[in-house]
Amino acid sequence: MPLYQIKNLTYFYPNSRKPALKDIDMIIEEGEFLLIAGGSGSGKSSLARVLAGLIPGFYGGRIGGSVFFRGKDIKQLDKRSIAREVGIVFQDPEKQLIMTSVEAEIAFGLENLGLPRQEMARRIAEVMSFLGLAELKREFTVKLSGGQKQKLALAAVLAMQPSVLILDEPTSQLDPVAAEDFLNLVKRLNEDIGMTVILIEQRLERCFHIADRIVLMEGGRIRFEGTPEQVARWAAQCGEPFIPPVARFFGKAGLNTIPVTVKEGRRMLREKFKPSSGDFYLKHPGVVHEEEPLLRMERVWFAYPDGREALQDINLQFFAGELVAVLGANGAGKSTLLKTMAGLLKPGRGRVMLMGGEPGSSVSRKAWNSCVGYLSQNPSDYLFQDTVEEELLYTLKNFGISPNGVVDEIMDKLSLQDFRHANPRDLSCGERQKVALASVMVTRPKLLLLDEPTRGLDYRQKAEMGKVLLDYCRQGASVVLTTHDVEFAAEYASRVIMMFCGRIVCDGPTHQVLSESIFYSTQIGRMCRGFADGILTPEEALAVLKPASPGKRERK
Amino acid sequence: MLDRFFYREKGLFLQSLHPLSALTYIAVLLVLALVFNHPLYLLGLLAVTVTAIKALDGIDAWKTFLRVSLGAAFVIVIVNAITVRAGETIIWHGPYIPVFGRLNVSLEAVCYGADMGLRLLDIMSIFCLYNFMIHPDRILDLLSRFSFKSALVLSLAARMFPTMVSRLDSIKEVQAARGVDFNAGTLKEKMGKYVVLMKILLLTSMEDSMETAEAMYARAFGSGKRSHYVRDAWRPRDSVCLTASLLAMGVAMYGWTKGLGTFSFYPRLAYLIDGLTGIVLLFAVIFLLSFPLILSWGWHNCPFIKSKI
Repeated sequence: MPLYQIKNLTYFYPNSRKPALKDIDMIIEEGEFLLIAGGSGSGKSSLARVLAGLIPGFYGGRIGGSVFFRGKDIKQLDKRSIAREVGIVFQDPEKQLIMTSVEAEIAFGLENLGLPRQEMARRIAEVMSFLGLAELKREFTVKLSGGQKQKLALAAVLAMQPSVLILDEPTSQLDPVAAEDFLNLVKRLNEDIGMTVILIEQRLERCFHIADRIVLMEGGRIRFEGTPEQVARWAAQCGEPFIPPVARFFGKAGLNTIPVTVKEGRRMLREKFKPSSGDFYLKHPGVVHEEEPLLRMERVWFAYPDGREALQDINLQFFAGELVAVLGANGAGKSTLLKTMAGLLKPGRGRVMLMGGEPGSSVSRKAWNSCVGYLSQNPSDYLFQDTVEEELLYTLKNFGISPNGVVDEIMDKLSLQDFRHANPRDLSCGERQKVALASVMVTRPKLLLLDEPTRGLDYRQKAEMGKVLLDYCRQGASVVLTTHDVEFAAEYASRVIMMFCGRIVCDGPTHQVLSESIFYSTQIGRMCRGFADGILTPEEALAVLKPASPGKRERK
Repeated sequence: MLDRFFYREKGLFLQSLHPLSALTYIAVLLVLALVFNHPLYLLGLLAVTVTAIKALDGIDAWKTFLRVSLGAAFVIVIVNAITVRAGETIIWHGPYIPVFGRLNVSLEAVCYGADMGLRLLDIMSIFCLYNFMIHPDRILDLLSRFSFKSALVLSLAARMFPTMVSRLDSIKEVQAARGVDFNAGTLKEKMGKYVVLMKILLLTSMEDSMETAEAMYARAFGSGKRSHYVRDAWRPRDSVCLTASLLAMGVAMYGWTKGLGTFSFYPRLAYLIDGLTGIVLLFAVIFLLSFPLILSWGWHNCPFIKSKI
């Protein structure tokens, strides 16, 4: 008997005329590792909520078709039975933690299940040991790092000993190392304990290869499903972006066998391609800037009131035309760096100069803000007007700038015209991000600072944003963004800065920095290491690598 | 910066007490500070409280409470001296003020004001001690046995408060970056800018609360009868501290019914030490309230005591 059997499932959210899910038919077997991929708004999260019993139980709405869990209609199962069997971890750890301390958080679900005290004590001890949380037993949840919070959210669900674990983009807010750590844990749960895992992810390079089966969704429907290899082959043929870079490269290279891991890719690379003379992209001369930098930071230190030195001796210059990506673990000081550049935080020591002037002296605060645009991590912090258009006009009004067609121009550029009169709070995550960005870009700042702008965006939205930013740089502005998305940095940034514990540990052209790094490198970069150094993206690999012999290319 | 005023886990003895015994100890200190008005008793309570704060490594933060209390005490002394006319020992004849009459300051009124200031310092120090000694979650845990929903609301509020403060800071930064100058304009204009901040915070919090509710639903909240997870073990130290606290309360109440622990300020100041019984009672109460401190010393310095409690 399959674990889940879904027949002809269609679902409408309350007050919605468009179905979030349409004609879904699928079977999920016990012990399976299922990856659900697709663009924003494709119905991934809605499907996860159906499987977790949250739809229609929590959300309401209209539902058609049937969902069977171990042969029983899920509608007939009571809330406690579903919670006992199915655990779900959401995207934002901050919003799913309820109690103030770690131990109480884990106990919360067990108390709700009405378990006896001895049983609760045993489960809490076990799960804390398994996830390495014992040291943090009495710690306040607000004090935990992003990675620890997500681990705690997982622990709170695992303590309930569900047979199915659903993860809705659990690593989207984690740095690459913490994300890897988290996914390894999930893999162990599936392999060692036999737990069924249903994972929803946007960043497929992290998890494509660990899934048994992949379901690709689009417009509320299942577009394709199969093993990673089948999906990779199909997506490569159709030109779909929802495959990892290694698979995309081999697909575009015209090979029939599509590897999905770096290891397999490296083996195939050695069999099918000639080693490159190497260092192709590394040989590109660095840009020599003769003009005055837009922004200069000299020996900048910044400490928070609790004494934590978030910036230590920062010396940086940013020039017009640059797209700079700042990488580093959570807490490395990336956001503090941007806020200091935006003039929102005043350095304890050192100077930040915008076109040669310092805030408050030669450059007024207002002039500084109009030259430097800042987009924070959370786009919702920008949105309060009734329409998207008003949101843009609000910024212009604050700076005393007359619109003069700039609102239309920015809306065109960011494809927001269709939402001009929509309430920004009614838009999806990716669309909100674009509105927030538009409300910053509308003053045409010379320096645009973006704090994790790609968070929650799918491949298409990221590509769209990358093009907008590159175009903006070509017009003579400079963009500095923080990101955990190394693939995005490799594709669009001209320069990469790496931070560690408040210090700049590396600063240079993108190819140089990312090729030298082991953990902060792209999938293609890791695959080509030692074979064709300096290559970071599938497009670069296609341009540089030549087949070992023409006969060895399988098709094209 | 504000972290030092709140609970931080330091693995200290007083933090290891069961919330029931810790809360009883704090409650006894508070009740006695409200019941007694004898300056020596209030000083005794202050000495015990400050020693406990020191044992919790919180003297630096307490100094801020001290400064605030001394400022408030000064105001109390001035206001009391000017407005109260019950004292007979006039130490300053002031000018005649219409409606109020002649402004005379008496020694009794000044002393009463100082005594009230001392009581204020006592109470503030006890709250400071509470902050350092008891993990708020453990209090909520205790409360949840009697009223789970109220405890949950308090827990959510306690968890959300720092998050909302940090979110408010972030929204303010965003607004500043969008050209809003919070220091410019008239009072009405400034208020308008802050209204926008609150509007964004409210909208965002409402959206976030849906996600929190969803996470609670997914973890079987409201699915039926709950059980209660007991996190805190009851140790011999808790029995000793609870007994000592209750005995201190009993002794103090006995003395209070006999008129001890109270001091008469008007019309003339009474004797500070009026007989041996009052002093014996004071020492008895202070000794009993010092039990947790003695155990704390033993726990940190004597392996034998540590192993037994």
